[in-house]
Amino acid sequence: MTNRRSLNLKLILSVLAAFLLSLAFSWFLHDRLSERDAYALIDRTFDNVQDELADCVNERLVLVCMAAREQLEDGHPDDPASMQKLARELRVTEVSIADEKGDIVRSSVDDYLARPGRPAFNFAATDDKVANEMMGLVDGRYTEYCQPFRSNPANGNWRKFVGVWRHAGGFFEIGCDAKALQSLARSTCVDLFRNWHVGGTGGIVVTTPSGLVLSDYEEPNREGTQFQEPDGDFFYWKCKEIESFPVYVMIPKGSAAVQRDVLVGSTALLNGVALVFVALLVGFVISAFVRQQMRAQAAKEMKMATDIQLSALPNVFPPFPDETRFDIWASMETAKEVGGDFYDFYFIGKDRLLFLVADVSGKGVPAAMFMMRAKTLLKGAEQTGKPIAQAFEEVNDALSEGNSSCTFVTAWAGELNTRTGHVTFVNAGHNPPVVLRGGKAELLKSRPSLALGAMSGIRYRTGEMWLKPGDEIYLYTDGIVEQPDESGNLYGEERMLKALSDTSRHGKDVLDAVLADVRRYAADVEQADDCTQLLIRYRGEPDVVTREYAPTMEDLARATDDLAAALKPVPAKAKNKLLVAADEIFANIVRYSGATRWSLSVVLTHNPEGVRLVISDDGKPFDPLIHRDPDTTLSAAEREAGGLGILIVKKTMSPVTYRRRNGNNILTIGKDYGD
Amino acid sequence: MTIAVSGRVDTVTAPELEASLNFGDATCVVIDLAGVPYMSSAGLRLLLASHKKMLAKGGELQIANAQEAVREVLDITGFSGILNLV
Repeated sequence: MTNRRSLNLKLILSVLAAFLLSLAFSWFLHDRLSERDAYALIDRTFDNVQDELADCVNERLVLVCMAAREQLEDGHPDDPASMQKLARELRVTEVSIADEKGDIVRSSVDDYLARPGRPAFNFAATDDKVANEMMGLVDGRYTEYCQPFRSNPANGNWRKFVGVWRHAGGFFEIGCDAKALQSLARSTCVDLFRNWHVGGTGGIVVTTPSGLVLSDYEEPNREGTQFQEPDGDFFYWKCKEIESFPVYVMIPKGSAAVQRDVLVGSTALLNGVALVFVALLVGFVISAFVRQQMRAQAAKEMKMATDIQLSALPNVFPPFPDETRFDIWASMETAKEVGGDFYDFYFIGKDRLLFLVADVSGKGVPAAMFMMRAKTLLKGAEQTGKPIAQAFEEVNDALSEGNSSCTFVTAWAGELNTRTGHVTFVNAGHNPPVVLRGGKAELLKSRPSLALGAMSGIRYRTGEMWLKPGDEIYLYTDGIVEQPDESGNLYGEERMLKALSDTSRHGKDVLDAVLADVRRYAADVEQADDCTQLLIRYRGEPDVVTREYAPTMEDLARATDDLAAALKPVPAKAKNKLLVAADEIFANIVRYSGATRWSLSVVLTHNPEGVRLVISDDGKPFDPLIHRDPDTTLSAAEREAGGLGILIVKKTMSPVTYRRRNGNNILTIGKDYGD
Repeated sequence: MTIAVSGRVDTVTAPELEASLNFGDATCVVIDLAGVPYMSSAGLRLLLASHKKMLAKGGELQIANAQEAVREVLDITGFSGILNLV
């Protein structure tokens, strides 16, 4: 879990870092963009200001020039002194009159006029292209003409000249220096620029060359005061001199950055939403993956737990290959992967078979863990050979001690004397077993003692009974009798007893049949609890004849005759099969084993009637059960005769078991024919 | 040519039977097993050898009247699919 939490933290941090990084990049990008946009806007504004201001100034000067024309054509004296006076009255710097040839004939400026040895300034003759254009007033191309404010190439003075045509031919011209220009255009400028906004909250400031504010978009009252250049930290700005006016175009950075802020803000929002979404998605995918891994791991561990539990129970049948006095079968079907039921059986002394079935309260893993403990404790106590009741008392005390979960185990354990059929048993709160005798199934009722682990210091009562040869005893857990059907009714003891009464089935088939009957009864209802069954058939004492032989053909013939004699009470069909199987094994021993001696025990078992042949030899180890069967599908030409004997034995005999013990191969084969 | 066999056929008796199975020039031999209560793989080996011998000289071997125990062994070993059982 710690790993997962730190994984989540790392995930969140990296997402946050990515978010901030993208935000910073976006901010930087938009900052650059808005600066570029601001300067582009300023340059465009200058173009417009240039045009507007020029138009404005030109319009005003044309009017002034026309006023000069009016006065002069009305008879205003045109000697230089009068011309200078007129200029002053009109608040311009110069006034001149040119004739149709372009010569300045009258002027407030002496230098323009003809003098001895020097011609008058002539507009057509000069190299100055701008001055040449004034001739348009003579040839009728213009009625008025405005030069830009510039340094006059004739004398280097900064002037703006404006001309209007003259009725008598030629034209009138006025010239303004910066001061005159500004005084004439001042009010026009103020009107023009005061309400001129640039990019939202930016604007234009126009000053005099000496820096006095003429027009301020921001603070109209500041006009006439000294202008301070804008602070580059807070403004994008540029200054250009247009028509002699220093013009400042300025945009507050905050205003220019509005777009940037909006863009960055919306980017942040979108990125944030996207990243949160991605983070959630990634987080979901990762946690789903982790969950799936954990589930797979849990399932794997559960499978291992199932295997461990099942392998803790004896699960190879028949468990005692040479045992001819009884047969035993058992099975456990857990409701979940692991169960709380168990069965067990083992010898606790010569001819003393202990067998038991137990059921831990609860299901699943907790029950399974308690079950493993109970099983181990029981086996440990029982194997000392003490009476069952005493072993149960010890186990009960051990399980009761510190049993905080109040889990308990019901158990039914019996000790069978395999020689006599005498059974002593203890019932620790378990279901009564069933005794099958002569085709009848009856519950073996006894007053039960308390379940194991419920309370310490309990005394356990011992019961006893006798199994006659042919009798069977069936142990089970409540998963069988308490399986509900769709309407909630339980399977019950009656149905179980009926299923057990069917004498046509034997051994493992009985267990399978009961389980199938329970499943049929449950129909679609799932298995409610673990179903555990154990069945013992007591067969009684067999008749045994054992003889020893040498590895010769003569002794092989003798053994065959001995066997045929011993099998006299056996029906011909079974007898023939046994003789064939025995012949195969005898031949193998005599021909191939390298044995120095071998023996045959013929065991005639009862209840049901059957035969076990125990064939022992001291030859080299040979397990016929792991021998590969020959291919019986080949054609005659391809077939070899080898290996057929073992195949015949395996196919006709049941059981067939092999052991290697004390330097001997011990093969047990047999057949029950009484069923 | 018919050869009637009687008695068990196993490791002990097979050599005796093998010595008496002389088919001469016969192209069709019938082995009558009516009197054989059981037969182990030692007998099967003889039947297979005889069958191959007859096939080699273009003849035919037939097995007649196999009893239940014998037939079961023939079935288990796949010999009933090879030999001609009549």
